[in-house]
Amino acid sequence: MIQNFQEYIKNIDNISPQEKKDRERSLELFNKKGFPNKKLEEWKFTDIKKVIQQNFNELNPNNKLVKIKEINYIKDFEHNHILTINGNLYSHDFKYEDKDKVKIEKFKKEPGKNNNIDNSLLDLNDALFSGGYFLEVLENYKLKKPLIIYNYFSNDIKNKIISNKNLIKLNKNSYTDLIEFSIDDSNDRFFYNNYTNIILKNEATLKKYIIQSNKSKSVNYKFIKVFLENNSNYESYIFSSGLEFNKIDKDIDVDGKNALCTIQSSLLLNGNSHQEIKTKINHLKPNSKSFQKIKNVINDNCKAVYQGKIFVKDIAQKTDAYQLSKALILKDKAEFNAKPELEIYADDVKCSHGSTSGNIDDEAIYYLMTRGISRQEAILLLTEAFLFEIFNSIENEDIKIFLEKSLKKQIYEYKIN
Amino acid sequence: MLRIKNLKTLIKDKPILNGVNLEINSGEVHAIMGPNGSGKSTLANVLSGKKGYEISGEIKFDGEDLTSLQIEERAQKGLFLAFQYPLEIPGVNTNNFLKTSLNSVRKANGQKELDTLTFLKLVKKKSSELKIDEKILSRQLNVGFSGGEKKKNEILQMKLLDPKLSVLDETDSGLDIDALKIVAEGVNSSKNKENAFLIITHYPRLLEYIKPDFVHVLSNGKIIKTGDVSLSKDLEKTGYFNLTK
Repeated sequence: MIQNFQEYIKNIDNISPQEKKDRERSLELFNKKGFPNKKLEEWKFTDIKKVIQQNFNELNPNNKLVKIKEINYIKDFEHNHILTINGNLYSHDFKYEDKDKVKIEKFKKEPGKNNNIDNSLLDLNDALFSGGYFLEVLENYKLKKPLIIYNYFSNDIKNKIISNKNLIKLNKNSYTDLIEFSIDDSNDRFFYNNYTNIILKNEATLKKYIIQSNKSKSVNYKFIKVFLENNSNYESYIFSSGLEFNKIDKDIDVDGKNALCTIQSSLLLNGNSHQEIKTKINHLKPNSKSFQKIKNVINDNCKAVYQGKIFVKDIAQKTDAYQLSKALILKDKAEFNAKPELEIYADDVKCSHGSTSGNIDDEAIYYLMTRGISRQEAILLLTEAFLFEIFNSIENEDIKIFLEKSLKKQIYEYKIN
Repeated sequence: MLRIKNLKTLIKDKPILNGVNLEINSGEVHAIMGPNGSGKSTLANVLSGKKGYEISGEIKFDGEDLTSLQIEERAQKGLFLAFQYPLEIPGVNTNNFLKTSLNSVRKANGQKELDTLTFLKLVKKKSSELKIDEKILSRQLNVGFSGGEKKKNEILQMKLLDPKLSVLDETDSGLDIDALKIVAEGVNSSKNKENAFLIITHYPRLLEYIKPDFVHVLSNGKIIKTGDVSLSKDLEKTGYFNLTK
């Protein structure tokens, strides 16, 4: 595997000797550590080393640009879009916006600057990444229509490793609704290793929604690093049902007064799928707020994980941090692991966490069945009721209706009994 | 319509019903009265198909063995149970639930499912008959409903599904007199020659508003006395104690 990676770096055209050196150094770092396994605290519930070994004999980084005919753009509401194909920025259309207020280009990494987080998958990303996007919204500009980022995966990426980097920068007092919409045409296994960096300057607001259009056999790892300045607002929703293996790793620096960070997720796991949401929220300045609500419906042999850490720095007085995870377990073999962690160095803070998991309410099923509703339909109704709670806080009606429709389709496509 | 022969039930080895015999024909209203713990609610639960009971004896509904049917099949074939304690189900929209229920029953009977518009018109008509505030129908099912609203919601479901046999389990409990009248009127206006009602109640009060053709007294899991509406009036004077001793 490692030879493939070395070979790949050797053959990248048009990069500076410095960048080549950076990449080689990152690959060395990765090689020393290997893929993360369950012996590492951060990976104790998600042994990606094992997953890679079980699913791939080889992993090829050869990520040539492919051309595609047509993709099914969402027609439910007017929106701008960015299209990435196998991780590469392919096209974009900001027809509803003032052209000089939004910038989009291929991501370029600063030479010599690698990530400084101890995480071998990020080293691997540094070594192998190609062509993500850099999106910038200029000061005081509020996008008139939502932006959908279509992440399209073509049908020829069996056994490939897709590594890319994205940077989203919202300047002072700007606003964006951003939907990440993944379409997997491959029906094969590939490894997607994504690093996204999000910067919200003072008073900026980003509302971000992650959703899948269909089932995917890919192995997904998404690392999202977020910086929040004063009075900024980061609101994130995760609806990644349909992924067989997924870990979303968020590391958020709430580095501004009165900044607000919200993370909510609603997932339905079916078959043998495995999904982890890991968050680390660092409250670094006074008067900031974070809110997390994680909801999972876990069926069959699935495993869902939530690891949520809240860190409060000594000067971050008046921090208000809250996290709650709730799981509905449908089968005996389904599993939910929650690990909340608080590390607080300030004395005037409000931090709380809670976690509940339980089986479906038999009395409710009975009641619904006495009204002529089959057991299967009743479970679907209760699943929907459990997961749809998150939608209450989505303000944009177009997006809300679309997401509800998408999640409903996912729920009713699955056979739960 | 309903024929129960020598029905005995055990729950965790404890006998609850000890040989109930009951026959209900189309067009009839029956009332079952009895003290607490006599097995009234068990009878309602067993008819609906609730799990957890060991059953012997015979229950025939329109000539078919009821015990071999699933809970939802019983409902689809026209058996309705109004709950003593209607369940609160957070997150489930009341209108959506009503529509799913009605369409499940219609589908099972080979009828066309109703589209949203037709359904809403129908539910509007039926709910105004019961003086139900329409707003509660867009809320979560029974969540935060008052006792009266919950019971009226049960009767609304009954009217929408138009069952052959309705079993009302202590529908009068927790109702004030105005709500009681509305509920009784809901039942009376649904009565016809094709359907039947089994009213389970602890107090004779409800029977002043819904006139039963037969009154049965259930005690220790057996029907010990059957009569007409005058039996319930006697009970009001004498109490259950004299009957059961």
